[in-house]
Amino acid sequence: MAYLNQKKYYTNDGVNPTDTNWGSYQYVSLQDIIANFELMYDGNHSLVNNENRYKILFHAKRAIQELNYDAFKEIKALELTVYDDLRFVLPSDYVNWVKLYLFQGNTLRELTENIQVQSAVSYIQTATATFTYDTGNNVNTEESDLDKTRKSGALNSIYLNQNNEADVNGNCVDCEDDIYNSRIGARYGLNTETANINPTFTIDKKAGVINFDSTMANRQCVLQYISDGMENGNNSEIQVNKLFEDYVYAYIQYAILNSKFGVQEYIVNRAKKNKQALLRNAKIRLSNIHPSRLLMNMRGEDKWIK
Amino acid sequence: MINSVRNTVLAIINKNNYGYISPSDFNLFAKQAQLDLFDEYFINYNQQINEENARISGTGYADITLGYEEVIDTFSITSTLTQNAGNIYYLPSASTTGTDYYLLNTVNCFNGGVYQGEAEKVSNNKIKLLTNSILTAPSTLYPAYTQQGDSITVYPSSYNGATDVQGVYIRYPKDPKWTYVTLYGGEPLFDQTQNDYQDFELPLDDSNNLVARILQYAGISIREADVFQFGQIEEQQQNQTNT
Repeated sequence: MAYLNQKKYYTNDGVNPTDTNWGSYQYVSLQDIIANFELMYDGNHSLVNNENRYKILFHAKRAIQELNYDAFKEIKALELTVYDDLRFVLPSDYVNWVKLYLFQGNTLRELTENIQVQSAVSYIQTATATFTYDTGNNVNTEESDLDKTRKSGALNSIYLNQNNEADVNGNCVDCEDDIYNSRIGARYGLNTETANINPTFTIDKKAGVINFDSTMANRQCVLQYISDGMENGNNSEIQVNKLFEDYVYAYIQYAILNSKFGVQEYIVNRAKKNKQALLRNAKIRLSNIHPSRLLMNMRGEDKWIK
Repeated sequence: MINSVRNTVLAIINKNNYGYISPSDFNLFAKQAQLDLFDEYFINYNQQINEENARISGTGYADITLGYEEVIDTFSITSTLTQNAGNIYYLPSASTTGTDYYLLNTVNCFNGGVYQGEAEKVSNNKIKLLTNSILTAPSTLYPAYTQQGDSITVYPSSYNGATDVQGVYIRYPKDPKWTYVTLYGGEPLFDQTQNDYQDFELPLDDSNNLVARILQYAGISIREADVFQFGQIEEQQQNQTNT
């Protein structure tokens, strides 16, 4: 792909969306990666030869997926309102969650994952505890009592959020303003792992939803999550940070050589080491460790802790 | 070149009064000889690549591969493939693109005249797996095609316009034809102004090989083992000099 001139970069030549090229120089497209690999690493005089392009494409995409899972810091965020069904449907490109927030009073409050089960499937049982089946011989199901109770707000929790703030500290009259009636130290022996006033959640991966307790009803939720970078299958939008470009080539080369018959083991090992070294390099580069940032952190060492 | 090749062939054959080759026989042998040599270019090219990988081939004037590529590329044709139906297109042939194809080099896909991507050939037993794959299913950027009979099917099926698919292929060399108008002193007189005149399309340095190969066919035709053997020995010597 050709370099963009500055007018095209800043204004997209007036074509909407005009901001489409902003920051694009950080990335190299999948299209370029495949073309470059075929030109530079594949051919009659290269280690990789006589390979179908779809194999190269497959390994390139796998490399980008793997990078998206942990090496990249490309975190997406989605804000939705949680309604009475107390669930947040996972985004279409969701792979794993990073953080979940309650957005309330212009403040983001990080939510705690509930380690207790929040939702269950219930089989319909007869008086003799046997199951009933439909015409397809599948067990008949119904909404579980656990779900009903949770949605109604009657579910007691090991967390603190089933009650209001005043209940946390019985002496609290005006908890926000009165420092003498604050909750500090109010509950001795509390399990700190589960001590949180905010709503809690559980992710049901199979069902594709996040289940909340009833205190989350009609409140704003922001989910930070990671995807796999496949851009819903649109090949023209898949891209990778330039810091990882060489790693992607090395990954493709290694993956092909590793699965090819008759390639000497030392060549496979060389490709493997190259791939791993390039990944390390790229991660260090992306971590942005440089003196001015360290200096900012070290300035805090003289701060008095009250 | 065709006239000098014919003259040389006739000179060798007539030397010991082995016999005579009529113009029509010569044209048949010439066609066969040219096809043989044309086919060998691809085999030699592959052999030369292997030699390069074994580091027993040089660059510059020693770059034999370049010479083979140049000859093969003279037969390269780029042409829009004729649509059969939907995303099915005819392979290059005399009736569709004007020339038969020896090797379909690349298939390029276009949308509204804008190049989108090169289609990759996929075997018929893989195409279903490929189209069902999430990561590698054929797309507008990375199309694929399969071959059935005289046609190819291009994937994805959104490539279905009359000018959406272009083929870059290596055509067969045209049939050589030594033409004449009249007899002069009992001999046909060469005339290259005839409409159906066609010279050899291989380079000049192949004339020795063409003579040797035509002699082999002529030797079999006139049942003269000496002529056949002479042609064979000539060719072997030529090949040894080249390698």
